[in-house]
Amino acid sequence: MRVKKCVLTAAAPSQRRLPLQVLVDRDGEERSVLAILLEEAARAGMEEIAVVVHPGDEEEYAAVAGEHAARVRFLPQPEPRGYAHALWCAREFASGEPFLHMVGDHLYVSRDGAGCAARLVAVAQQEKCSVSAVQATREGQLTQFGAVGGQRVHGREGLYRIDAVLEKPTPTEAEQKLFVPGLRAGHYLCFFGMHVFTPLVMELLGEAVSAGGRSVTDALALLAQKERYLALEMTDRRYDLGARYGLLHAQLALALAGTDRAEILAGLVELLALQPAQAGGRG
Amino acid sequence: MSRLVPVITADREEVRNQPLDGLCAGLGAQELMAECAALDAFRSRSENLYERVRALFFLYSIHRFHLPFREGVRAEGRIPFRGYLHLLERRFEEAIGEFLAAQQEQGPNAALSSALAAAYRGLGFQTLADQVRRSVRSTRGNQWMFRTGHPFDDPLRIRRELLVADPQTGLRPVLREATPVRMDFSHSAWSDIFFLGMDYPEGARVFNTSINLAVRGTGEPRPPVEASFRVIDAPVLRLVSVDLGAEAEIHDTAEVFDFARDYLGLLKAAVIAAGLVPPGMEGSGLDLSGLLERLTGSRGLGIELVSRVNDIPKGSRLAVSTSLLACLITVCMRATGQIRALTGGLEEMERRTVAARAILGEWLGGSGGGWQDSGGVWPGMKLIEGVRAQEGDVEFGVSRGCLLPRHTVFSQEEITAETRRKLQQSLVLVHGGMAQDVGPVLEMVTEKYLLRLGAEWKARLEAGAILDEIIACLRRGDIRGVGACTQRNFEGPIQTIIPWAGNHYTDLLIERARRAFGEAYWGFWMLGGMAGGGMGFLLAPEAAGQGRDRLGEILLATKRELERGVPFAMDPVVYEFSINENGTWAELLSGADALMPPGYYTLRAPALLRREARLLSPGERRELEAFAAACRSRESWAGMAHALFERLLPGTDAGAAANRRALEELLAANGFDPVQHEKIRADLRSGRIGLAQNRLPVTARIEDAREEDATDARRGLPERLRRLGEEALAGGALAIVTLAGGMGTRWTRGAGVVKALNPFVKMRGRWRNFVEIHLAKSRKCMRHSGAGPVHIFTTSFMTHAPMEQWLRRENNYGYEGPVALSSGRSIGLRLVPMARDLHFAWEEMPQQVLDEQKQKVRESARAALIQWARSMGEGSDYTDNVPAQCVHPVGHWYEVPNLLLNGVLARLLEERPGLRYLLLHNIDTLGAWADPALLGLHIDSGAAMTCEVIAREMEDRGGGLARVDGRLRLVEGLALPDERLEFELSYYNTNTMWISIDALLDVFGLARADLADEAKTREAVRRVAARMPAYVTLKDVKKRWGKGQEDIFPVSQYEKIWGDMTALPEWRCAYVVVERRRGQQLKEVAQLDGWLREGTAAWVETLCDF
Repeated sequence: MRVKKCVLTAAAPSQRRLPLQVLVDRDGEERSVLAILLEEAARAGMEEIAVVVHPGDEEEYAAVAGEHAARVRFLPQPEPRGYAHALWCAREFASGEPFLHMVGDHLYVSRDGAGCAARLVAVAQQEKCSVSAVQATREGQLTQFGAVGGQRVHGREGLYRIDAVLEKPTPTEAEQKLFVPGLRAGHYLCFFGMHVFTPLVMELLGEAVSAGGRSVTDALALLAQKERYLALEMTDRRYDLGARYGLLHAQLALALAGTDRAEILAGLVELLALQPAQAGGRG
Repeated sequence: MSRLVPVITADREEVRNQPLDGLCAGLGAQELMAECAALDAFRSRSENLYERVRALFFLYSIHRFHLPFREGVRAEGRIPFRGYLHLLERRFEEAIGEFLAAQQEQGPNAALSSALAAAYRGLGFQTLADQVRRSVRSTRGNQWMFRTGHPFDDPLRIRRELLVADPQTGLRPVLREATPVRMDFSHSAWSDIFFLGMDYPEGARVFNTSINLAVRGTGEPRPPVEASFRVIDAPVLRLVSVDLGAEAEIHDTAEVFDFARDYLGLLKAAVIAAGLVPPGMEGSGLDLSGLLERLTGSRGLGIELVSRVNDIPKGSRLAVSTSLLACLITVCMRATGQIRALTGGLEEMERRTVAARAILGEWLGGSGGGWQDSGGVWPGMKLIEGVRAQEGDVEFGVSRGCLLPRHTVFSQEEITAETRRKLQQSLVLVHGGMAQDVGPVLEMVTEKYLLRLGAEWKARLEAGAILDEIIACLRRGDIRGVGACTQRNFEGPIQTIIPWAGNHYTDLLIERARRAFGEAYWGFWMLGGMAGGGMGFLLAPEAAGQGRDRLGEILLATKRELERGVPFAMDPVVYEFSINENGTWAELLSGADALMPPGYYTLRAPALLRREARLLSPGERRELEAFAAACRSRESWAGMAHALFERLLPGTDAGAAANRRALEELLAANGFDPVQHEKIRADLRSGRIGLAQNRLPVTARIEDAREEDATDARRGLPERLRRLGEEALAGGALAIVTLAGGMGTRWTRGAGVVKALNPFVKMRGRWRNFVEIHLAKSRKCMRHSGAGPVHIFTTSFMTHAPMEQWLRRENNYGYEGPVALSSGRSIGLRLVPMARDLHFAWEEMPQQVLDEQKQKVRESARAALIQWARSMGEGSDYTDNVPAQCVHPVGHWYEVPNLLLNGVLARLLEERPGLRYLLLHNIDTLGAWADPALLGLHIDSGAAMTCEVIAREMEDRGGGLARVDGRLRLVEGLALPDERLEFELSYYNTNTMWISIDALLDVFGLARADLADEAKTREAVRRVAARMPAYVTLKDVKKRWGKGQEDIFPVSQYEKIWGDMTALPEWRCAYVVVERRRGQQLKEVAQLDGWLREGTAAWVETLCDF
């Protein structure tokens, strides 16, 4: 199995401005979020990239796509019918091939600089099946993510066979349905916002969309029943740009992982020093 | 080689299920001691919970029922005080260590065995409770709540649908959950107790149905419990109980965990068990605003949770409170997305989670129901069964069964709609009105099953077979068959296992219903843990319609007949019911329908209406507008405006005024002495008298009696004395004085009934009360000696009239000898206790510590009661109750002088000049009888009074025989300056005394002829009374209100005690040690089972001639 296509979703009304934001990357250069994501895809060997956008956003996106603009195709989602439908809009682009999928409102910072997508694609190609990147997440944050339960793949560090998928579960449901041996109590494997999908996913999405479903999770829960479906535990960091202070966190993470680390740290220290001393409240 | 350990570990059922009593039957003291050593070692090393628990119950049983009765085991022994303290603090292992060390030193004896039995039993129950607690906490879906200790970690969010206000009305929607209750056809003889389901899951089976309910004549049946949830514009947790009329706005987590502070404990337990305020936050000291902000996503918002029970009285045996808990938990779980569907019914997995959370809530609130009590969450009829623990279950390897059972709902094909309809037609569901505590019954059952007692185990299996029969009847639509089964279940297995599950009241009802309906009577149906409260009668459909009214009449008439001797909480009611095929069900009320239940507004609106309109927040304004609109437009809300006025401007409380008048009359009629009362109040308030002041000075030298101080009558007395006694009996020299003036507070926990008339045991096939048993002993005496002793019952203001009526109605139970009532001439008015005395009783005296969670609840309740005493005014008159609960008898010291004062003794002496002796005893000393040898001993000794004592055991608290500053006397527990001194005393006072009448008159300075002179007699009594100490005591009284609700308050009263006469130097006393069974007193209902099992009941029966 070879993965050479990537689908990026950025059509949600609340998220469509996020890929256009400009950040300073690890190398100290100003780039748009979209350009950073395209770079991540390109490093993973993606030859063609589709970005699902809100109709009319194509031009603005194209303007900030940077050096990989040539590989990018924009697919408008005609009406806002949810995440599942947005992804399903890329069915013709995928044309029966496996593809890498990333969400447009997340930013990934790998520890070793090799790229998160590259690692995920390598594993998927080796295992010849759908693989979702996941991260062990405290139960207090379950309200923000899809989560999976499953068993460790024998002899493979960080790899799990998924047997249950739930969208933003309550801790009660997570405890009852998402067992993962070896994980710390109160932690669950939550989606990292990055997946490699086999063609079956598009079929299942199609069924979900025609039944009025909006979430991708239902299709993935079915996928786990029909095909071998793995989760790869990432130790890298991902930042949800749509969250409160999400862009700020992402910018800080990028800057502190890059060439301007000392400068940023000095700035932070200065800010802290200027701040009037406050009695630390609880929390 | 132990014979008993292999029984516990055996794989084969027929070995494992052998009854302990049979196995111990042939063993002597030495062999039993060896078995105890083996069992104790085994229970320490075994890893398996149930092996440990069974070994503990074996040890308890051997020490309680076998070892003390063996040849070579002495009665006397010294229980180490340190061990006793460990026991009170629930440090059972340490207590056992102390007692075993003492046993090593003293050799086996009954005193130490009684202590060991208490410790082993306590440890057994604690081990079981710990396991349930562990299982509840580790059940999947519950664990996260114990990890969440800070709002930032809280993973729950309120659903969006509940946050958005309606654009037209401005009201946020109300989520309303309505839940049926469960009605058990059979619980296979209490097999639903958690411990038992986990020990023997195969036997744990319950068949029940979810039902809607209404008290007859109040409308259509509907789900009895309701909960409403909404988001409010204030950062508080507002809890409201419409039926209890209680509300609270809670600002911090500490108050959420303070369960007994008000009537909202159940709502608090639900909030915690649903994870809104996770149990992990207990003790965090956080305020709630942060958590509420996290839950609602906005600063300044809060949550309101409202509960309502639709007019169903307490004690219905339909698990109303567990159903309400489950209902509240469900609505909170829906609101936070822990249940997928916002409205409608639940998925199976979700129902199981709710049930697990309800168990958690029960544990948090310090109560505990059966595992099927959340049955109303499920729809219709279902079989609930224990489940063997499998690998992967948290219980696996620890207990045989899982905590949560499996529910199988029966379809309409399996049990047809027609059958269900016929059942609804035939079954008459009632609440008999009795006030009961099922707790002791559940402990008795647990004990008996774990010991595999022969008859009980067989009965348990039979109950299981009856359950199968019931299901078979329902499958074939045979309702008459169901009635036969439930009747057989009650008469057979249920009462074989626990005779106390039935009672005289229920037996009378069954007998009368049978007679009234003849062939149309199909059977009796016990609901819940015991009969007397919620019950059912199955009647032929053609009789059932009118039968409902007829049964109502029978219930009320029977209650009226028995109410002075049987504790009732309320008048009986008849219900209407229907089977609920939905289980718990929710709807979302929005727009103009977003209203709380009607009663909510009568509770909440007055405070809003009293405020100026301009000061109301927009939200409060909208709320009032919506309420007003509903009152105008909805028929069912029509009476609300009136109710609101009643609440705003309450009329004069006619009931309270009548109560006050009745109290004044009662006091006046019974010789209340206001001068003395004021003196006692002043002394109490100034601290001159009080619990701490009851004690003898610490300088008093208190030592145990010496061997020569008391005659030992246990091995028999010389024939000469017996003949002497018999002659006296035949000559009519003896009168028996049974003290029956007390309220028996411990017997009915302050219910205010006449203990003497309480039919508590079946002898010769009939329920008998204390009076009847005592008279039956006098009759036997008469048969034997030819002359019946005079039998005097001393009474008080509360017991006199009912006793008189009863004895007349029963014609003195056929006793041919003379019977007299000696009416009380003294009465006291109870006082609100001093906070100082409450602190002393609860903090300074050694106390029985409860299970961890129950202890928390108790401490919270006690803090509230101290607050209550302060707000009512310490030392003020306690008048806020029915008159009979406000007054008290002033101790049994007065009951003997009363014989002098009320002319009873004078009259008897005139009629029977040969009368020379009195045998005085408590109403609950059932083994006391006119033993001629003891009478002979008393006559022969020439003493003024001979006091009977018994060798002290663990339960014998309250002083005993001692040498105080060298003088031998009886000393009250209250008077001992140090608790540990009591454990130095070998003998316990039975309060059974032989008194020489002339010596008695002598100590009062009277001669027989002086008794006619009332003034002289009165003066004589006053003089001696002044020499007797008055003890201040705390008593629990019940206050009843609402629908069968009861509150218990501690009140202060004082009493003088007859035993203190032994301190008078001119009054010569002798002491005799008698057998335990003769001197044992029945103070609590929980003692009954042991009394029966150890054979004392059977022995008492041999003393009687009914």
